[in-house]
Amino acid sequence: MEALAFGGASGIGLKAVDLQIENVSAAFGDHVVLDGINLLIQPGEFFALLGPSGCGKTTLLRTIAGFATTSRGNVLVGGQNVSALPPWRRDVGMVFQSYALWPHMTVGRNVAFGLEERRLPRAEIKRRVDLALTFVGLNKEIDRYPSQLSGGQQQRVALARTLAVAPKVLLLDEPLSNLDAKLRVRVRRELRALQKSLGLTTIIVTHDQDEANTICDRIAVMNEGRVQQVGTPTELYERPANLFVAQFLGMANVLSGRANGAVFESSVGVTLDRGTAADRAVPVFRPQDATLAPPDDTTERGPSFAGIVDEREFLGSAVRYGVRAASNLLWVEAPFHSGAPLKEVGEAVRVNLCPDRIMWLDH
Amino acid sequence: MSAWWLRIVNALFFFALPLTCYAQQPSGKLSVVTSFAKDVTDPVKKAFEAANPAVTLDVQNRNTNAGVKFLEETRSNNQVDLFWASAPDAFEVLKSKSLLQNYKPKATGIPEKIGQFPINDPQGYYFGFAASGYGIMWNERYAKANKLPDPKEWQDLTSPQYFDHVSIAAPSRSGTTHLTIETILQGEGWAKGWATVRRMAGNFREVTERSFGVPEAVNSGQIGYGIVIDFFAFSSQASGFPVKFVYPSVTAIVPANIGIVANAPNKGAAEAFVDFLLSPAGQNLLFDPRIRRLPVNPAAYDKAPAGYPNPFTDPRLNSMVKFDVKKSEARNDAVDTLFDQTITFQLADLKEAAKAINEVEQALAKKSNPQAKALLDEAIAQMTAVPITEEQASSPEISGAFSGGKGKKGARQAELEQQWASFAKEHNAAARAKAAEALKLAK
Amino acid sequence: MTAVEFGSGGKGAAAPRAAFRAGWGQLAIGLLVLAFLLVFLVWPVATVIWVAFTEKGSSSFTLTNFADFARTDLFIRSLWNSFYASAMAVVGASMLALPLAYLTTRYVFRGAKLVQVLGFLPLIMPPFVGAVALQLFFGRNGSVNLLLDDWIGIKIPFMEGLNGVIFVQSIHYFPFILVNLTTALQNLDRSMEEAAQNLGSHGFRLFRRIVFPLALPGYVAGASLVFVKVFDDLATPLLLNVKDMLAPQAYLRVTSIGIADPMGYVISVVLIVASVAAMWASSLATRNIDYATLQRGGGGHAKRELKSLSAVLAYALVFVIIALVLAPHVALLLLSFATVWSFSPLPDGFTVAHYVRVFSDSAGLIKNTLLYATLAGLIDIIVGTAISYLVLRSKIAGARALDLLATAALAVPGVVLGIGYLRAFYDIRLWDGTSLASAWIVIVIALAIRRLPYALRACYAALQQISASLEEAAENLGATKGATIRRIVIPLMTGGLVAGFVTSFATAAVELSATLMLVQTDANAPLAYGLYVFMQSASGRGPGAALGVIAVLIVAVGVVVSQRVAERTRRIDNGSLGN
Repeated sequence: MEALAFGGASGIGLKAVDLQIENVSAAFGDHVVLDGINLLIQPGEFFALLGPSGCGKTTLLRTIAGFATTSRGNVLVGGQNVSALPPWRRDVGMVFQSYALWPHMTVGRNVAFGLEERRLPRAEIKRRVDLALTFVGLNKEIDRYPSQLSGGQQQRVALARTLAVAPKVLLLDEPLSNLDAKLRVRVRRELRALQKSLGLTTIIVTHDQDEANTICDRIAVMNEGRVQQVGTPTELYERPANLFVAQFLGMANVLSGRANGAVFESSVGVTLDRGTAADRAVPVFRPQDATLAPPDDTTERGPSFAGIVDEREFLGSAVRYGVRAASNLLWVEAPFHSGAPLKEVGEAVRVNLCPDRIMWLDH
Repeated sequence: MSAWWLRIVNALFFFALPLTCYAQQPSGKLSVVTSFAKDVTDPVKKAFEAANPAVTLDVQNRNTNAGVKFLEETRSNNQVDLFWASAPDAFEVLKSKSLLQNYKPKATGIPEKIGQFPINDPQGYYFGFAASGYGIMWNERYAKANKLPDPKEWQDLTSPQYFDHVSIAAPSRSGTTHLTIETILQGEGWAKGWATVRRMAGNFREVTERSFGVPEAVNSGQIGYGIVIDFFAFSSQASGFPVKFVYPSVTAIVPANIGIVANAPNKGAAEAFVDFLLSPAGQNLLFDPRIRRLPVNPAAYDKAPAGYPNPFTDPRLNSMVKFDVKKSEARNDAVDTLFDQTITFQLADLKEAAKAINEVEQALAKKSNPQAKALLDEAIAQMTAVPITEEQASSPEISGAFSGGKGKKGARQAELEQQWASFAKEHNAAARAKAAEALKLAK
Repeated sequence: MTAVEFGSGGKGAAAPRAAFRAGWGQLAIGLLVLAFLLVFLVWPVATVIWVAFTEKGSSSFTLTNFADFARTDLFIRSLWNSFYASAMAVVGASMLALPLAYLTTRYVFRGAKLVQVLGFLPLIMPPFVGAVALQLFFGRNGSVNLLLDDWIGIKIPFMEGLNGVIFVQSIHYFPFILVNLTTALQNLDRSMEEAAQNLGSHGFRLFRRIVFPLALPGYVAGASLVFVKVFDDLATPLLLNVKDMLAPQAYLRVTSIGIADPMGYVISVVLIVASVAAMWASSLATRNIDYATLQRGGGGHAKRELKSLSAVLAYALVFVIIALVLAPHVALLLLSFATVWSFSPLPDGFTVAHYVRVFSDSAGLIKNTLLYATLAGLIDIIVGTAISYLVLRSKIAGARALDLLATAALAVPGVVLGIGYLRAFYDIRLWDGTSLASAWIVIVIALAIRRLPYALRACYAALQQISASLEEAAENLGATKGATIRRIVIPLMTGGLVAGFVTSFATAAVELSATLMLVQTDANAPLAYGLYVFMQSASGRGPGAALGVIAVLIVAVGVVVSQRVAERTRRIDNGSLGN
């Protein structure tokens, strides 16, 4: 079914609104889970909450939905403050990680549930249920029970159930974590296509950076209850705000050492000009921003240091070397074309850094 | 000098004497199954063990039915010496199943009967050691709150003011109550006796399935008036409950019995116990306020406390004209079942009829009306009718139905029960109808 | 734009039933359980019940007795009354249990644990003296009615007739529903509820459409127990002098002296058949629906707060219900300290003399009671788990029959079982010459057999809520079936196991009818027996009440201890707080 037909006025009637999170905090006992979160999500945006386990992203999602009773702060959906409203009046649709389909109801009754709660007329309920199930391609399963469906089908039913009530915002809790790798890639593309076509403001919680990078418009990277940085995938990658973001999105090498006036003396033996970097900032570079040269090659003029190849990972389109230098293990990545020679483990090399590609980051 | 053999005989005799005494001295564990409460068994145990230090009395307390069943089931390796309970019907059952053994107690001076009631089993399988009388017990506070007068005779309980205030134990569950009902039937005659019983029953609030249920309810004040055995009332009073008791002019003497179980492990001690109970020491124990039974040895009453009832001299306990034991036994089951089917299990129905009749009686008390009175009498006759005659009650057909077996003529027990129950139902309905008519006229 | 296709192949959230494994282990367990039931239930009962199928006084087989049963008004009326009372008692018990279960599991409720312990106590009513206490409170001339009569001039017939039976039974057996329903609610996957809330549902609608249907296994377990127990209960009707119900009729006839009356046993057979049929019918209600959840109560952890007015109403409601169901125990307590209590709202005076009197006897009685009840409870949850496992996880034919067979034990009157044990085991001699029937272990088994159905229902409901895939994951990692059961299934079933143990323990501690037949020396006697002996006389009422209070206290302590164990395991289960 055409997304436009489904989401348009003659279908379910979806609208795009913004979502504002204002100074939201939450704690369990004296364990702080969220600490002063502020976010503004644009209408129609596909937004990710990305972070490791325990960073608070699921709690934040549940706060938006109204399930985190110990939270403070405001949540505004389309300009309306819903913080004081119980979950059943917020009109934000949530698809749970376990799908949470009710085993004692058929697929059709599951999807109809929210509509029945809104006391819509019977004919309208039937229309919407048919629409939703057709949209996800499961209208033939309308009388079967969830236990009779496969995992993927169950997820689609959960989605149909949520979309049928035309929520203002769509919340997805780790939707791809139950799927295998190949399927994950396929499904996330479809998710993005769906979201774009429906134009519904959507927030996804995930710990997988590839997922966030490939399908989202903007990402909020979270750690230890705080938003570390908000930006597009490229912004986060190219200009990480701190060490955590740099290391969470993509790989990042941190040079240990000590600041000394205007320069940074790193333990691998190279001295770097600190420029306008903050006092506590340390130099960080990406694997693809350094090159390897034979040990005695001094053609390059930039900062460089010696090391031994300790590990080698073949990635198909690139080769990644783990170079040991003064008890640091630093990763350098080079593109691979067939026929090109590979360095061996144990080989001595020279690592050349590119000074303008060095990021000075704090914790 | 005696011959050497004489000396040996002497020596043997000398040693044997204490040995024989030793052999006759009861010892070891003596096991009793009894339905008597701790209040009775404790003092007796204490006194008996003091008199026979080598014996330990092990008391197993069970209700009479459970006790009988227990003896039946364990007969193959019987571990019980004595069965000690109230009513003779349990003992009759045990006797018929050869679960008791014969003994001739050493006690003297115990007559064959108290009044018209035999004390012992004629074949010597069980013995009465105490007796009690039946009467009416009531709760003073209840009577005061409901402004009811004190009853004196069984007939008093048939009057309308006691409606819904009276309780009794089912004769089928309480041998002693059965004897009381049988006493009424024999005293007043079959038809008239049943009339009294049924009119009394019209005032029942409940029919309990164990004897103690009646005094218990009166003690709590849940029931006002109970038909009970005397020692229940006296022990309640001793415990401080606000209850009173009266013996009607004609009342039953119900015995308490003891029997030695067949193949008793400790026969010697068992016999000693029986003798102890019947001895003056044992008989005197019965005056203990916790026990409060009537000794069967007339001589014991010399030591009785003042005012203690004496069944051998007290006219109320002695005025039964003639109690026919054989007749009572022959129709035992029939009477039990009649009572149950027409009263116990039909109580709600019966009470409806009684209520209707009571209303008429109260109306007539204010304003007399001979026509209404005639109808009332018919109604009462309906309500108190009995499905079988006295002869039928003792007949082999009917008693055969209860004992069962192939080839018996006549109806099965279940059929009889259904017949009698329907009879009662129909007659109650007829009584109600007549009473309604009477009421219309009386008003 | 094409239709969304998410592709299939992901792992399902609900796995189908475990595949058939012809394990010798399972077969062996099944046979063991069958042997246990045959030896300790079927055979003894059969030795007693066969009389129902013979002509009175002879041994020839006949079915006329059953025809007579059908033709007798009294029996048919009793049958109908029993059904009616049982059904209405389920309704009454539900009305009491549902609010308590819901409020204490779904909301932050101070004293929730206390409520759950107190809510259990009505199940433990010591025999005889409990009845007296109840009458003293709720009887026609009991405290409540005397006061009502004084103030308003009316009396409420709490304890009269069939309605009285329903009233008392609802209070007495509502813990079955409370315990089982609470466990089911606590084990519910919270995301199911949250999904519904997210879609706009809340309050009673949410409860009715989502929460309750998903907790149905627990509710049905409890409700079916209430139905069958009320159907088979003879103590309460006799206490209230309602004799036209099946169970009291059976009892009265079986325990009459002398008359070899088959009708008592006929009625026992009818009781057994009807109870089994009721249990079987109730199992139909929860078939075909996959209740297993992967997330065990996890997902959401915070209970909801109660706002001020709702909080006041909630606490008030809970207080009223608890006060009502504990009134008999309060009366019992008063009675144990009373000098004389007769026809007045409160006793005339108070004393500790009764406790002093029972003090010397009670040590041995308490020891025996604890021993018997604990052993019976353990036996019950072991056998109950075995049967549940066989029914729910294996495809052994006849597993369900085992279930029904074990459940039939509910319907067997205690006195019938007692007599049957004597008949069956008295002639079996132990090594020292004493009879098997006089060994105290036989009392334990009799207690265990009669309580097995309770534990079985609790274990069954608990196992139903565990997904088979949780076990399959363990086996996949190399655990044998035995190790899986020990390390995965049993811990996950803890809630149900505790509920089952506690129910068996508590009711075994005050059982009397079978005990009365089997106790042969004072040394073997439990509290209930000591109590019975006291209650045969007027002066024994106080001491009997004292023993009754002691029995209730013991059981209450046992319940608290068991709940602590369950709570600890559940906390480990739910693990970490959220992401």
